[in-house]
Amino acid sequence: MSNDIPLTWFLYFAAASFAVGLAGVLIRRNAIAVLMAIEIMLNAANVNLVAFWRYGPDRPDAGPLAGVILAIMVLTVAASEVAVGIGLILLCYRRWHAADVDRYDSLEG
Amino acid sequence: MIQVLFVVIAAVGLAAALGTILARNLVRAALYLIGFFFTVACVFVLLEAEFLAALQVLVYIGAVAILLMFGIMLTRNIQGDDPSSAMSVWKVPGLAAGFCVFAVLAYGITEQKGIGTRYSWAATERRPSLEQVKEGATATGRTEAVNEMAKVVGRELMTRYLIAFEVAGLLLTAALVGAIAIAHREEVDPSAARIAPRSAQETGAPANGPGSPAIAVAAPAATESH
Repeated sequence: MSNDIPLTWFLYFAAASFAVGLAGVLIRRNAIAVLMAIEIMLNAANVNLVAFWRYGPDRPDAGPLAGVILAIMVLTVAASEVAVGIGLILLCYRRWHAADVDRYDSLEG
Repeated sequence: MIQVLFVVIAAVGLAAALGTILARNLVRAALYLIGFFFTVACVFVLLEAEFLAALQVLVYIGAVAILLMFGIMLTRNIQGDDPSSAMSVWKVPGLAAGFCVFAVLAYGITEQKGIGTRYSWAATERRPSLEQVKEGATATGRTEAVNEMAKVVGRELMTRYLIAFEVAGLLLTAALVGAIAIAHREEVDPSAARIAPRSAQETGAPANGPGSPAIAVAAPAATESH
């Protein structure tokens, strides 16, 4: 195409989403909201991976789909991390009766 | 044309992400997050990775977002105040940190800071074109990967990335078992909690008649601390 999307546009979108996710992790006090912001960051990294895969040169030793496979692995890790994180939050909620990360401040009990 | 489409999709995605971190209602934040996931799937389609877009919708929207909704439902705060936003003293440094990270990343993208000369940024104005498949011939390499991504993903996962595939399966099993083990609630027998103070009350009441109000006060206190 004559007017294709430049690679840097995808990178700007991924960088902005990552910054928004990071701000969300630092701002929010609810543990589930922090998990949501972490998911935003992981998705931004995925967009970065697939953009560099599509726009990059051919690498014969890594196969034709290296970026997509890595993005699938990141998807897997993110999904399992959310599962374990929700379990932990449920446990902390039973202990402190709040889903507030400022309350999770002691290791005993 | 496709540039306009990308700008619209990126704007919607960033608005959804901002809505996620700024929404006070947690359910609204989760719905904004679903919108963001769908936008990222649209970006994957623009990058000609349609299989990954379908996978994104299925896994993130269909599983992760639903799991987050369940977590929101099960951890309703019972104090009545709204703890889902930070105190005002921490909001500004958080936003400043996010802005600083974006500034550093944008500087790196604009100045095209790569790793030495290993990858030329000059070839990024347009994507590498795929070779045209001749009549009757099967595609190879990246053309096949983009045109028949599901088949190539399956082949790659089973041959070149087999170890990564197996380790990912191990990770998923560990996460499954771990999540169940963490959130498992022990069955507390309620009758055992009631029997012990009642027996103390029974033995205490005949021995000390005038002091029975004290025993009656002590027994609920014993059950409270149990």
